[in-house]
Amino acid sequence: MELKDKILDQLKQVIDPELNINVVDLGLIYGIEIKENNNVYIEMTLTTPGCPLHDSITSGVKHSVAYLEEVNEVEVLMVWHPAWSPERMSEDAKKQLSGY
Amino acid sequence: MPQLSNETDIRLPLSFIIFSIVALIASQVILLFNGHIVIEGNFRTPAILSSAHLLILGWALMVTMGAMYQLVPVAFLTPIWNEKFGFAQFWVTAIGFGGFGITLSFSPTLSIFTGSLAVIGILLFLFQMFMTMKKQAKKNILTLFVGSALICLLITITLGILLIINLGMGISNLDHLVVLKSHILLGVAGWFTFLIFGFSYKMIPMFSLSHGFSMKPAKWIFIVYAIGLIVTIFSFITEKNLFLQVGMSLLFAGFALFSYHITTIIKLRLKKKLDRPFIFSLIAIGFGLVVHLAGMILSILPSYYELFGVLIFLYIILWIACSILGYLYKIIPFLWWTHKYSKLIGKRDVPTLKQMIDEKMAIPIYTGLVGGCLVVILSIATGYLLIFSIGQSFVVASTFFFSYSIIKVLFK
Repeated sequence: MELKDKILDQLKQVIDPELNINVVDLGLIYGIEIKENNNVYIEMTLTTPGCPLHDSITSGVKHSVAYLEEVNEVEVLMVWHPAWSPERMSEDAKKQLSGY
Repeated sequence: MPQLSNETDIRLPLSFIIFSIVALIASQVILLFNGHIVIEGNFRTPAILSSAHLLILGWALMVTMGAMYQLVPVAFLTPIWNEKFGFAQFWVTAIGFGGFGITLSFSPTLSIFTGSLAVIGILLFLFQMFMTMKKQAKKNILTLFVGSALICLLITITLGILLIINLGMGISNLDHLVVLKSHILLGVAGWFTFLIFGFSYKMIPMFSLSHGFSMKPAKWIFIVYAIGLIVTIFSFITEKNLFLQVGMSLLFAGFALFSYHITTIIKLRLKKKLDRPFIFSLIAIGFGLVVHLAGMILSILPSYYELFGVLIFLYIILWIACSILGYLYKIIPFLWWTHKYSKLIGKRDVPTLKQMIDEKMAIPIYTGLVGGCLVVILSIATGYLLIFSIGQSFVVASTFFFSYSIIKVLFK
């Protein structure tokens, strides 16, 4: 398994405690970049700016990825452009929110 | 973009919230033992004033301050100006509000001192919020609502000071009733309603995951409601019923527009099954609409103007208290979750916010509260003390169970 896939798997362990859906299925992860020395750079967003879970989710993403032995350092950048939209969610997440 | 931590030390909002729970119970127990005064419709007595101020200041204002210490940094994307100052503000305000609520019932002279402490506490809070909001990089509609609410609070306490000085020493040429009516209007409809409007625009889309709605009506809601407040105050000064009718109609129009706007936001939600306490906050908007409609109708019936006292009670309980209680059921689990589990997310399994509080208890609590209040109104209409005691017992029981379920969260 490639490191990027492992990182994605790890990120699926980070659950938004309000919606009970992981950050990958919610479409919050905009990009994962693996740089020199396996330093990982993650660009992500939240469903709304000013979400009270901002710090919790950011540190959750950082910790979950840092847990991988291959990973050296993790940097998480929160961005608001482009803004999150429901289209970014996976089908599973959409179903869960619809109550099916 | 710099990665700043905006989270507030949880002990700060929690201190306010725990104090508020005690004040809520105290206010309702005082009311329970003074039913004979309530059914006579004689609201301006020491015991009722004490209960009203414990409810409005001790509970509603304290809990709102606590919630703002938590919500302002996240909603405005800026940390609290000074947390140590916040703790000092808590102690000054807690002693002031508690003391004022107690001394009002037996000593107007002593209440000047406790009231002064309460006022200093509120001023410290306003200063803290002003300094925090000043740092907000990009002002938005939420800034307008919350900023206006804070200005209304400042005017409310200024008028409150005038009332206390007038009661204690007497101020020549001061029309006590005009100041009192403006104090109540700006306190409940200005401060609380603008604040609930503002934070609803943040919390409703967040809890329902609504997207793609327009925020254009919000500006008009603010303008119509603010003009309604000004015209209503003008009617107090001029004592012209026509201005009162126009003012009440504008307040109703502003609130109706807000209700409509929230409906359009909720229709665009992605989360189809909403949490029960959150639904209760939405129902509170419906209650608020009915109370505003009743206010408009009552304004064209001058011979029934004494019923405005009952309407203010309904406004506080059904609109303000129900909204706050509904949101608290979401805010408190979040606060405790952040304190206990925020650093564990991504490291091990953590509970969801829904698992932090017993949602099933919300329905009997809220039903008991609303039902109890309606029975209290019935007792005022019929003049039966027994009916009052039954209704108020339901309210007291609901506040006890509410407090119990909140305290239970702190052990999760």
